[in-house]
Amino acid sequence: MSGPLLERELQASLAVLDRRGFLRLTGLAAAAGLLPAGCGEAPAGLRPPPGLVLRVLTPRSYATFQAAALRILGPAGRALADAGAIDVAGRADGRLATLPAFAGLVQQALLALEFGVWPLVPKLRPFTALPEEGRDQVLRGLATARLDLSRALFRGVRSFTWLAYYSAIQSHAAIAYPGPFGGPGASVHDAMTYDPTL
Amino acid sequence: MVIGTGAGGGPTAARLAEAGLEVVVLESGPHLDARDFNGVEGEMFFRLGRFAATDDGSLNLYAGHCVGGSTVVNDALCWRTPPEVLARWREEHGLAPLSDAALAPFVDRVWRDVGATPTRRAYLNRNAHALERGAHRLGWAAEPMARNVRGCLNLGLCNLGCPSNAKQSTLVTYVPRAVAAGARLLPLMHAERLLHEGGRAQGVVATRLDPVSGAPAGELTVRAPLVCVAAGVLETGALLLRSGLRGRRGTAGQGLQFHSSVHVTARFAEPIHGYFGPTMAYAISEFADVLGHRGPGFMIENTAVHPLVTAQNLPGFGEEHERAMAALPFLAKAVVVLRDRTRGRVRLDRAGRAAFGYALLPEDLARMGEGMRAAARAYLAAGALEVWLPMDGVAPVRSERELDALADRVPRQAELFSLYAVHLFGGAAMGGGPAQGFCSVEGEAFDVSGLYVVDAAGLPGNTGANPQVTIMANALRIAEGIAARGVRA
Repeated sequence: MSGPLLERELQASLAVLDRRGFLRLTGLAAAAGLLPAGCGEAPAGLRPPPGLVLRVLTPRSYATFQAAALRILGPAGRALADAGAIDVAGRADGRLATLPAFAGLVQQALLALEFGVWPLVPKLRPFTALPEEGRDQVLRGLATARLDLSRALFRGVRSFTWLAYYSAIQSHAAIAYPGPFGGPGASVHDAMTYDPTL
Repeated sequence: MVIGTGAGGGPTAARLAEAGLEVVVLESGPHLDARDFNGVEGEMFFRLGRFAATDDGSLNLYAGHCVGGSTVVNDALCWRTPPEVLARWREEHGLAPLSDAALAPFVDRVWRDVGATPTRRAYLNRNAHALERGAHRLGWAAEPMARNVRGCLNLGLCNLGCPSNAKQSTLVTYVPRAVAAGARLLPLMHAERLLHEGGRAQGVVATRLDPVSGAPAGELTVRAPLVCVAAGVLETGALLLRSGLRGRRGTAGQGLQFHSSVHVTARFAEPIHGYFGPTMAYAISEFADVLGHRGPGFMIENTAVHPLVTAQNLPGFGEEHERAMAALPFLAKAVVVLRDRTRGRVRLDRAGRAAFGYALLPEDLARMGEGMRAAARAYLAAGALEVWLPMDGVAPVRSERELDALADRVPRQAELFSLYAVHLFGGAAMGGGPAQGFCSVEGEAFDVSGLYVVDAAGLPGNTGANPQVTIMANALRIAEGIAARGVRA
């Protein structure tokens, strides 16, 4: 069996976070105003679109996820998101609604990303308050952190971004994926040509 | 009573029903069929299976959760049970009766029942050819694998639910046979605990699940003098533990063993289109330690290049990741399937659900590193432009020299960002006595008569090759014994 990994990776990441209880502490600290961050409204450009009813994420965690996802995606993905073709955080929220066991953990992870500070997350301000370059630096720091927990946090958010993005059919053109049953770009026949060099 | 409809439960239900027994089959997942299989990764993974992770989150697994179980989401690969494995089970687990000759008739029967056939060249896609080309140039032992398909259309969707019914999962073979012979199939019934009294099986208590939300929607008690458990390795172990059945020596849940695996991805100059064609069909067996090979104990097998899973196995983010994914039609991918020496255990979490611990031994991590490098070497020999290893902090490899620089690098488990268990074994294993296993070579629990373990939980260890045929054959062997001995009233 080949390995469908995305959600497993997320669960793996979040299992670490949950087990260590670190995020709960972070969340409590943030809620108590102990971290150098406010809990005010999410930045305007990252808020849920009007009319979207969130099922799991809060407006704040939606904004945090969207802020991370827009940097995790490359330019082509960002262009689709900016154009409103793919609401990555909205799709993630929809998937989370079918995974109640993960919902709380994802909220915790996003809380940690938004309000967590060094040594877990290499920053001193809310993630959504950082400029784009700052968000990239934070994500890069998490991805290469020596602390397994920090890398797990990064992988969890990244995995859910891929899940939300690549499961949207609008993302397929940028990767030349013709869809499960083929399309104008390629068909089954193209994959089955015998290699004459053998 | 049969709990589960996968490689263990399906054949058991069919054989017992065809033997004239009144059979009820419980399945915790939904009953879907080819009309439901739309090939969309992000949808089918969630409809057909469930995910789990080790306590420390560093190793993950995915198991079928539908009628047909993991045979619906596997890649249709068939290997006969390696004789070296049976020899080891006889020697180390006291399973003297489990000879090659004793199992062979059941392997042959499964082979016929599920239409296992060697994969002809016409069914090898470019993804398989890339691996074959590398193995050929390096002089490594490699071959097409047998697959259980009839009339394959090469859609490339084996592991997402075969939309053409070509894959001969238990969903289209043994389960329909069981129903045709009178078995009653009850999907969306999660077995909560086994009923037993005075050392005899009495039945099972199950929770009925809502088909939309999956939430509990009622309870069902089935009284039965014979209970065959095939809920999948984790769930079988958890069910026994929830039922207070730990084995006389605490054997329930112990001895868990995997084929751990990672994916290695390569980019070629020519199109591969690895999302079409058989999802898996070709194996480098040079490094196996079964079927006559004397290697370190891993296989390298080509695997499908669907977007979601491929993205997960590529490092980085942003432009770096997008550049790699933009080359999707040019990517080939292989899975390194390790025959672990590690053992773990199944336990219950605070909510009574299955949990498991599994920390790879250093020697297994070293062999996994060796496997990743071997896969990369094969791709470079085949002409790959670059190869990604699934390790944090490792840049794409573009030459033998760069690969050699990684020769001494033994990955830590937490560094492997896509480590997963592709096959699971044990947790309620057969053994020569209560000290060696949970159940006898006939599959019957030492402590509870009438209770049988018929899935991979009953196997004492891993097989070194894709195990569905072994699981099915062992289930048929146990069911044959039950049918021959009869069931008390």
